[in-house]
Amino acid sequence: MKAKIAVLMGGRSLEREVSLASGQRVAAALEAAGYRVLPLDVTADLVGTLRSERPDAAYIALHGKYGEDGTIQELLEFLGVPYTGPGVVASALAWDKSVAKHLFAQKGIPTPSWITLTADAFKEMGAATALDLIPDAVGGFPVAVKPARQGSALGLQRVDSAEGLADALLTALSYDTSAVVERWIEGTELAVSVLGGIDADGTDTVTVLPPVEIVPAAGLYDFSARVNAGDVDFFAPARITPEAANAAMAVAREVHIALGCRDVSRVDLVLDEEGRPFVLECNTSPGMTETSLLPMAAEAADMTFQDVVSRLVDAALTRADSGT
Amino acid sequence: MCFQGKVALMGTARVVFDRWHNRYAQRLAGVRSSAVRDLFAAASRPDMISLSGGMPEVSRVPHDVVAKAAREAVHHEGAAALQYGSSNGRLQIRTLVSELMAEIGVRLSADDVVVTAGAQQALDLFAKTMLDPGDVIITEGPTYVGALQAFSAYEPDIRCIPMDDDGMRMELLEAELRRLGPRGAKFIYTIPNFQNPAGVTMSPERRRRLLELAREYDILVVEDDPYGRLRFDGGHMKPLRSLDDEVVYLGTFSKIFAPGLRLGWITAPRPVLAKVLLVKQAADLCGSNFAQVTAERYFQGTRWRRVLAELTRTYAERRDAMLAALDEHFPPEARWTKPDGGFFVWVELPPYVDCSSMLAEAVEHGVTFVPGDGFFPDGRGKNCMRLAFCYAEPEKIAEGIRRLAEVVEDRLELYRAFAAAGALPTHEEGAV
Repeated sequence: MKAKIAVLMGGRSLEREVSLASGQRVAAALEAAGYRVLPLDVTADLVGTLRSERPDAAYIALHGKYGEDGTIQELLEFLGVPYTGPGVVASALAWDKSVAKHLFAQKGIPTPSWITLTADAFKEMGAATALDLIPDAVGGFPVAVKPARQGSALGLQRVDSAEGLADALLTALSYDTSAVVERWIEGTELAVSVLGGIDADGTDTVTVLPPVEIVPAAGLYDFSARVNAGDVDFFAPARITPEAANAAMAVAREVHIALGCRDVSRVDLVLDEEGRPFVLECNTSPGMTETSLLPMAAEAADMTFQDVVSRLVDAALTRADSGT
Repeated sequence: MCFQGKVALMGTARVVFDRWHNRYAQRLAGVRSSAVRDLFAAASRPDMISLSGGMPEVSRVPHDVVAKAAREAVHHEGAAALQYGSSNGRLQIRTLVSELMAEIGVRLSADDVVVTAGAQQALDLFAKTMLDPGDVIITEGPTYVGALQAFSAYEPDIRCIPMDDDGMRMELLEAELRRLGPRGAKFIYTIPNFQNPAGVTMSPERRRRLLELAREYDILVVEDDPYGRLRFDGGHMKPLRSLDDEVVYLGTFSKIFAPGLRLGWITAPRPVLAKVLLVKQAADLCGSNFAQVTAERYFQGTRWRRVLAELTRTYAERRDAMLAALDEHFPPEARWTKPDGGFFVWVELPPYVDCSSMLAEAVEHGVTFVPGDGFFPDGRGKNCMRLAFCYAEPEKIAEGIRRLAEVVEDRLELYRAFAAAGALPTHEEGAV
């Protein structure tokens, strides 16, 4: 009999609706592939349900807090339920954009220059008196201001001059206790999805999918553009030179490996006008809805949605068999 | 199993976009709901305290009495209840409406009434009847978000007049009318009693002044009065319609009976009402006879009056609980209205505060509210929030306000740090 897969979705994160859409689509695809599917909204009953239903593996279709920050991963490790996607450490590293950027910088992976400021730095240490230093610290305007830990670009703003900075910081700090101010790179916005990983025995199964180009109608690929079909145009494959595509794919591969990701990740980056990639962030539970980037990339690579989710589930089941 | 999402019918792996996204009418671009707000509304948890929805406490409407009314409707008038009816509504319910209106000082005949699917349909039908794209209309600022939605579909230019504790500020209305000139606006929309969202009531002097100005500039006044009978303190105030029979009046059974029946009404000058009726025929042929017959039966006798009195006492207790909790927990920078009835309190924070940006944290703390900017057509009201006291029990309201105050205090602490450094962003002053 085919394995029983719990598809975890919903939960209390701000990205609940997106997650439900991802989860339902994943559940349908897994069912079509012959798995026994147990679709689960993540509520206070989750642990009890997992203990009584004893699924062979869990597919994590959660987005945002608790789903992408290592919380659910740690819980599933404890319960002994194998799961899809990156493990605890990779999830926690990628979830905090500031921590991830420090890691990129250490590994020589290009990322726009940035600073991070916490709410406590403002409340307790007078950081608001140093707003004038920010432009020089990151290389001038425009800048992107965003919460360090939040998904779907919630709270993301572009700021073109000093007047908008305080407002943008206050907004970003309403989504997280920590805000990142990052140099804005003009260029082509790309999402590069990565499948597979490097196994414990050193086997390299990393597959980088073709970059998807994002062209938001309003100039900013923010939350509203992400959830409203029609506010943004996608091109898969991206309308870039083969050299630029290769550079973007190479750097996405580096990010995936540097963070210790396995199974899947989606690396968001910008190609500047010279075609140089700059990594913005890495998502360890990328959206799987009809308008999500990873499914688009898979289609561009002639993989069906069902192929992708089956591959993720098989990887989790293999880990269960090998006891890793 | 705790799966609560929508049914998944997608078996395909193909990436499917909304292929029709560039085929929708242009006017719909203006009436999109806020994605972020929808999301917060959905981010529910069991102990979430909602101070956001303006829902009547229908559990206090005795279900056995409603069941009896519905049973009688089927037994005695089954054929009529199940059949199409006249577009303006059954004579019996229109007569009932004229009796209800007489109780608040408005004399009219059943022929002056068109029954609608809630007052919300009346808003839509009236706007459809009156508005061409670009027409100017005047509303209070803030105003009912459902009215803004209904009007926006017909692409008007909406001018908002600020309020104070006595309702719409007449000197500002007059200034706007002077700019616009005679017949410069299609209509003036007002909710004079316990306004949604502000909770304030228009004073008798202002009511008279509004009608004077409307006559002087020859502009229709639309009086939306869903909460008029839910008065906790003070005496009854005469509706605008009782002072001037040119006034268009919108009423509803939603607050005096139940919103589930979708029954409201519109009265207007006869020629206007005839046009509205034409528009209504195209919209729905006729309303629900079944609902109308049920309501007619429910309003026979006097039981409904006791139910309504009890309901009003319930809302009054909840209003008291909310005002007491605001006094106890909210920071000194906050100001709020003290409604004599209705469902809502309007809170105003310093102009640099953005209340939408607090919603995420509020949801985390287990309480929801509606940020103020949704009640303006032009992005004003960011520093305001609407709090509904109608639906939660008094203890829940107190706890909800306590949670919300923590969020507000946390945000204000951050703002104070920016202010101390002279780094605060400057924002336009809010309203009310």
